[in-house]
This record gives sequence, structure tokens and C-alpha cells, in this order.
Amino acid sequence: MDPIRSAFQDDPDMIELVSEFVSAFPERVAALEECLAQGDLPQIQVLAHQLKGAGGGYGYPQITEAAAALEMVVKEGADSSLVKEKFEFLRETLGAVVVPEVA
Amino acid sequence: MNTELPNPSRVLVIDDEEAIHKLIEVRLRPEGITVTAELDGVHGIARAISESPDLILLDVGLPNLDGFQVCRKLKEHPATRNIPIIFLTGETTMEAKVRGLDMGAVDYVTKPFEQTELRARVRAGLRTKRLQDLLERKSFLDGLTGLWNRPYLDQRLVSELNLSQRYARPLGLLMVDIDHFKLVNDTYGHLFGDIVLQGVAEELRGYARRSDLVARYGGEEFGLLLTDTPLSSGVYVAERLRASVEARQFEVRGKSVAVTASFGLACTENIIGEITPQSLIDAADRALFASKDAGRNCVHMCKGDELTRVMESDLPSSDE
Repeated sequence: MDPIRSAFQDDPDMIELVSEFVSAFPERVAALEECLAQGDLPQIQVLAHQLKGAGGGYGYPQITEAAAALEMVVKEGADSSLVKEKFEFLRETLGAVVVPEVA
Repeated sequence: MNTELPNPSRVLVIDDEEAIHKLIEVRLRPEGITVTAELDGVHGIARAISESPDLILLDVGLPNLDGFQVCRKLKEHPATRNIPIIFLTGETTMEAKVRGLDMGAVDYVTKPFEQTELRARVRAGLRTKRLQDLLERKSFLDGLTGLWNRPYLDQRLVSELNLSQRYARPLGLLMVDIDHFKLVNDTYGHLFGDIVLQGVAEELRGYARRSDLVARYGGEEFGLLLTDTPLSSGVYVAERLRASVEARQFEVRGKSVAVTASFGLACTENIIGEITPQSLIDAADRALFASKDAGRNCVHMCKGDELTRVMESDLPSSDE
């Protein structure tokens, strides 16, 4: 996957905030993994929903898209392989984000 | 009258995602808006009640109490009923939007939001709030004179009476009636009558103390609520106002005309029997009628059963 940069990486008001948002990705991924392991689908839906709402606002429409896809399959009660697939895609997307440098 | 919002405007965000709190705070900062935030509905409602923000941004998908339930509670509570709510929603279905608006929200913003759209919608919401506040204040103002109106005086009379009784502090009421106002109207016309009302209102407001509430009680009658004021100091206020009304000159048809007013003063300390808004008003009215009977342009006070004329010369000179 190509590196993903925030649409706001040059916005001085946003740079610090975006950096903080990105640095918390590992915790979000870990939380999702744990829910996945425990089969806690409602919580996956919540976490995906939050990322969907926040991603675009931080200049990452790709995150919103990937998180929306995960939320959708959980909501629709799709089987676990599809949930896993969407989760993997979200993780990959988050992994492709380039940490913006705070000046 | 100051119609501006207290600056800066305050927005409360209720959203279970902290990243959204920070994002909104940064995005609204250039608008001069301060943002506070809560992660769930229960805390959000508590904060809305205690801080009464100018606007609430409310997430629909909250844990436990969802956004619609929070909205309903906010709309039911007297302290938060008039705060505009904008829903933040990941839902883009028409049903979700319509449901939110039907519950009393003024608008919705779809997440993820564009910053320019968020700002524009928040601005519009704050505008609504400003107009609402203005309307509420206006409904308590007398249009002609800009003084408080009778409903407001009546309302404050009740609350000030409670306070005065709880803290054992005297509350004074001064009733004022312009003398021969009908004659002024008949002689110079109603437009001039309006000018006289405005002029007298200006004198009352200008010479009253900062803590006195000045209201137009109706027609050519005015009422002043004098907090923490026994008769002994109320008479100074009354006499000063009487003199200032008498001294004011009104120009009409190339000549100068002066009007006078009669004053009636009462105080909670000098009421016989139960102290109620009505008994205080009655006492002040009796004193006012006594001033009319005594030839007008004077002050009477009601002390128990006794109606006493206040003579300017009786008052020891005061530096007040």
C-alpha cells in the first residue's frame, strides 16, 4: 500500500493533533485485535465507528473508508472471515500512514 | 442594551471519541470559540446544566444513553431547554437526520466533517442562540422606554421578596406616576406624550442606583424595586428622582414644558400583616395616592397604617 499522508500535514494548527492521533494507532489496533480474539463484535463496531468518524477529520479519508467497511460488515452480521478481512485492510491502512513530523 | 454574546462563545461537545473533541477544539478556535467536552451523555447533561454553553455538539452514537435520549433530556430540563443542539452523526440516512431535527436539534453535521462546514453550522447555531436570547430579553422590555416591563417586575418582585425574607433584608418598592399625563397628551398630542414617557424613564434610570430595578408598570406609571433599602434610605432615592423629573425640560412647539410625578414608597419592614407581592404593591400604591391627594409632585411613604409626606427639607443633607 502507498504511504498515506494527512491532508492537513501542512496545517500548522493541525500538525500536532494529527501526530497525536497517529501515534495512538497501535493502541486502537491492539484493542480491535483483542475484541476480534474474544469475538466481541459490538465493541468492534464501536471502535470502527469511532475511527470512521475521526479519520476524515484528521485528513485521512482512507481510514474513514476502511473503518466504515469494517463497521458495515459487523453490522450486517457477515461471517468472521469477512470481518477479519476488513479488519486486516484497516490495519494495513493505519500502518501505511506516515507519521507527520512536528516542527 | 448589549445584545452581543458573551465573548468567547462556549460550545460543549458530547462524543465518545476523544480524537473528535480535540479536532473540534482546534477547528473552532479560530472562531474565538472555547470548547469543553464529555465522553458520555450523563456527564454531558450534567455539564450542560452547570455551564449552560451557547451550543451543544451531540454525537448520536453514544454508549448507554444514546444521542437521541440525551437530546430529549436536554430539551426537558429548564436549564438546558434553549441551548441549540447540533447532532454529530456517522449516519447519513434520511431517517436519522429527520429524527434528530424532530427532537429539537437545530442541525446535524455528518462525520467525518469538513472544517468549513462545521464552522459554518456552528456559527449558524450560535446566531440562532443569540436571537433567542435577545427575544427572551425583549419580551421583558418595554418597547417605548427600554425599561423592564411589568411582567418582569412582577417576576422579580417574587424572587426578591424571597431573598429579602431569607436574608432578613429590607426590600423597597417605589411607585411613580406622571402627574396630569392625560392633559399633556391632550394638549400636545400623543407623540409628545411618548417623548415625555421616554424622558421620565431616562431620569428614573439615570438617577436610580445601580442595584435598583426600574420598570414601566403600565401607562404613565413606573415601578422601582429597591433591594436592601429601608424607608430611611428609600426616601432619598425617591426625593432625588422626584427632583430630577421636575427639573427636566421638554421642548414642544418652540417652548419648554416641564412635567412632574408623584411617588409612593413602601418597604417590607413596614408592612402590617403578611408580606406578599400584593401587600407591598398595595402599600406603595396607597402612598402614591396620598401624594396625588396632597397636590402631586411629592413623595409619600407607607409606614404601617400611616402615610407620611416626605419633605425635602426634612431630609438631612446626604452625600449619596
